[in-house]
Amino acid sequence: MDVEHEGFSSPRGAEPPPFTGAARPGEPGAGLGDVADRILVARAAEGDDDAFAVLVHRHSGRLLALAFHMLGNVPDAEEAVQDAFLSAWRRLPQFRGDAAFRTWMYRIVTNRCLNVRRAQTPSLALDAVAEPAAHDAGGEPARAAESTAATAALAQALTHLRPGQRACWILRELHGLPYGEIAQVVGESEQTVRGRLFRARRTLMKEMASWR
Amino acid sequence: MALEDPRATSPPDEVPTPHRDTDPARLVGDERLPCGRLVSHVWEQARAGSHRPDPHTADCTYCRQATEGLTVLDATTRTLRAQRPSARTVADRVVSAVRAEARLGRMLPLDDPTQELRIAEATVAKALRRAADRVPGVRAASCRLTPGEAGTHVTITMTLAVTLDQPLPGRATQVRRAVADASAREIGLAVSGIDLHIESELEPLTSVGPTSRNGTGP
Repeated sequence: MDVEHEGFSSPRGAEPPPFTGAARPGEPGAGLGDVADRILVARAAEGDDDAFAVLVHRHSGRLLALAFHMLGNVPDAEEAVQDAFLSAWRRLPQFRGDAAFRTWMYRIVTNRCLNVRRAQTPSLALDAVAEPAAHDAGGEPARAAESTAATAALAQALTHLRPGQRACWILRELHGLPYGEIAQVVGESEQTVRGRLFRARRTLMKEMASWR
Repeated sequence: MALEDPRATSPPDEVPTPHRDTDPARLVGDERLPCGRLVSHVWEQARAGSHRPDPHTADCTYCRQATEGLTVLDATTRTLRAQRPSARTVADRVVSAVRAEARLGRMLPLDDPTQELRIAEATVAKALRRAADRVPGVRAASCRLTPGEAGTHVTITMTLAVTLDQPLPGRATQVRRAVADASAREIGLAVSGIDLHIESELEPLTSVGPTSRNGTGP
């Protein structure tokens, strides 16, 4: 298992194909799919767009998932991820590699999402994504429908959290990031992260208590 | 990894032990229930389920209330985690935008008697990295080009990641040859020196063979 993808696989195979970062055969960047991020970052920092393309394909899945769960709809999430990557491309020559590329990108996307000013509560377009419910509830339609409804309720409950809490909860519970990395991503102490996680979990449990 | 664990969302370092209850960094904001138990402790116990039966929690109203919603939250979290929009569109869009916004670097002199032809540093670096990549077990990282004072020659400084399954000097010779060859034949660059720095080990987990880009494709 590629370490780069650790912590972002879903249980029971309900997942889209893994992001290998490999370019499609014949494309520029073919042969770089197995290369570590830091080598690709060194190349991309010097203007190698093929290397950057591999990084984009490797990380866009998890970053889009992050933005989607932060913002609640696909178009806004795509815009946030696109802006984040373009900003990274421009800033790469100054990237000193203190943090891993993955952490750096998580940070840029999280900041974008926190800065998206929204006049109204985020709209939920959960039907816009492939529905994984077929893998749930052992194939019983009624239970699958209930599970779908509960998932929508959780997504809705997420939007009621304070943005900082929401970010910490998503990074921990949906992306499996360690506390230290979450602290780097959100720019807070590990203590603050743990506090936010506790409060987020409590609130979400209360909101989900009616779903049994 | 914790995510694959049926106990779902409990991080591995939160397994409750009496000593760790006093660790202030563990769960900031944690609350003690009227029965004396910490909320985080009760959560962990509930997730551990029948592996750690506890006569107290079975009968305690406070503990039961504190875990209401935990099971459904954990199960729903797993479903939510699997909800991932396809990133293909946005990735393709980003790559097109990046290619349109090329960072070319400075212009370097070509080995041309008229001394009028120039080529972008990024273009040369890309071609030279590709040449190094074609040596089995080698991937180029940085590739910098420094023009000499005379004007027509450049020095190439390259960092490499290599697999450690062959003696390095021989490997370096191969890379040097590949890079010199590409400079002369593919680009037409006069090279005054090639400095190679082997910076990291390349994991030989997959067959790190030469990249096949030139002429072998359909």
